[in-house]
Amino acid sequence: MNNLSGKYAIVGVGYTPQGKIPGRTAVSFHVEACANAIKDAGLERKDIDGLLLYRHFNPSKDEIDTTPYSVAQRLGLSPKVLSQEANCARTHISHAIGVLEEGLCDYVVLSYGDNARSGQRSFAPVEGDNAVFGQFGAVGGYAMAARRAMHDFQTGSETWKKIAVGQRKWANLNPRARMFKYKMTYEDYFNSRWVVEPFRLFDCCLISDGGRACVITSLDRAVSLKHDPAVILGFGQHNQSSDILQSRNMSGPTGAIVSGEQALQMSGLTIDDVDACEIYDCFTYTVEITLQDYGFFKAGEGKEWFDGGTIEPGGWMPINTSGGLLSEDYFMGMTPLTEGVMQLMGRCEKRQLGPTTKTKKPNIILCSDNGGVLQTHSTTILGKV
Amino acid sequence: MTYKKPLPQVNSDTKHFWDGCKKHELRFQRCLDCGHVRWPPSIICSQCHSSNTEWIISSGKGKIYTYVIFHQVFHEGFAEDVPYVTASVELEEGPRLLTNIIEYEVKEINCEIPVEVVWKEVSKEFIIPKFRPLKAS
Repeated sequence: MNNLSGKYAIVGVGYTPQGKIPGRTAVSFHVEACANAIKDAGLERKDIDGLLLYRHFNPSKDEIDTTPYSVAQRLGLSPKVLSQEANCARTHISHAIGVLEEGLCDYVVLSYGDNARSGQRSFAPVEGDNAVFGQFGAVGGYAMAARRAMHDFQTGSETWKKIAVGQRKWANLNPRARMFKYKMTYEDYFNSRWVVEPFRLFDCCLISDGGRACVITSLDRAVSLKHDPAVILGFGQHNQSSDILQSRNMSGPTGAIVSGEQALQMSGLTIDDVDACEIYDCFTYTVEITLQDYGFFKAGEGKEWFDGGTIEPGGWMPINTSGGLLSEDYFMGMTPLTEGVMQLMGRCEKRQLGPTTKTKKPNIILCSDNGGVLQTHSTTILGKV
Repeated sequence: MTYKKPLPQVNSDTKHFWDGCKKHELRFQRCLDCGHVRWPPSIICSQCHSSNTEWIISSGKGKIYTYVIFHQVFHEGFAEDVPYVTASVELEEGPRLLTNIIEYEVKEINCEIPVEVVWKEVSKEFIIPKFRPLKAS
């Protein structure tokens, strides 16, 4: 697999209005994000021959279903490859590189879009026998894992507060972030209400309206495009699969261990080469267990590792520099991935890694994505040409 | 008083379990080839893929593997219950079952504490297994 390292790159990012944007369909956010990503890359719609969508949720009553063909239609695309993950398999990067490598496609768009904040439906649907016992949502599942981790390696709020507050400081530098104007202290963190104990409100990610997309192509094609490309140096995946309530790996190892090793091996790098991380952060604990499983610290040592502003502006290992899902907005794995791309392109203004934020100039950024309740995991290592 | 919480959605995989609950029996499948006791019910053993299966009845005793406390109301049926505890209970036979912990003192709840099943009749059709801390006798 090593010959794939450095062969493909992300060349454009598409944003939309984000946060609380009422009166729009989920499909409209996909369409706008994709159109903006194509434009950002300096491409035209006729160039795009692959479209891969993140999962969708059941549409509101007055909306059409979010399908890859409904999005393609509204973009005027008739791509060779069209797909959408069912649930949270998170295989977009390997899928995209697969169809590029096969020669089926030249330019593939990845997209997420939803109106979850304003749409008339819950992110914690009442379904299945879990509801019989009042067990709802990803928050319930991740809280179960976090509680077991508290038992197994003595983590807890004293660790998670540093993640919530650290990421908020990045959001305070990002005008696009929902929490741009809202500072957070440790006291604010502890004063936020319990949602599902051990998680407080500020342990939980935002629920957002909006979309986010990016374009992937070969490095050969990338070098003649508008921006300096974010080169895909390595990627990996690993899936524990088991429902969290039956999982034997509730406090780790998650899929991050094998996925991270695969990605590093492909890239020929070690964890010490990483300059910053964009970690899928549906909950604070997710950031801790992911970094722990990637090998940044040993089980339970996160509490000290996060001390002294490690992940914050000015820190030695910046994490989630847009504010992340916790403090920017929730676009599944596209929030971390596109932020990694934008940082490497040098387009992050006041939150730009390097001298602007008194951090290392970024050459290598590790991005993660995971799905279900720690059931799936993917890692993407981005670098420069 | 009407029962406002969601009821089990019985399917062909789970029917035998819920039928067992009506008789105060926690029924699980055990693989006759490798001995693995599985949950949720499935057509074959996840460990050896054998379909050679028997049903066993759990002792109803186990320990809390993990638990959470719901403070937010996600369904009106639980509005009067918050804060309430949901837990993954590891039974002596091996499977982990999602349930509620009831009849507890907040201070005594923790991972690994011993618990036992308590049966709660919620409708004519359903009896639900919940668990309570096992008191030292």
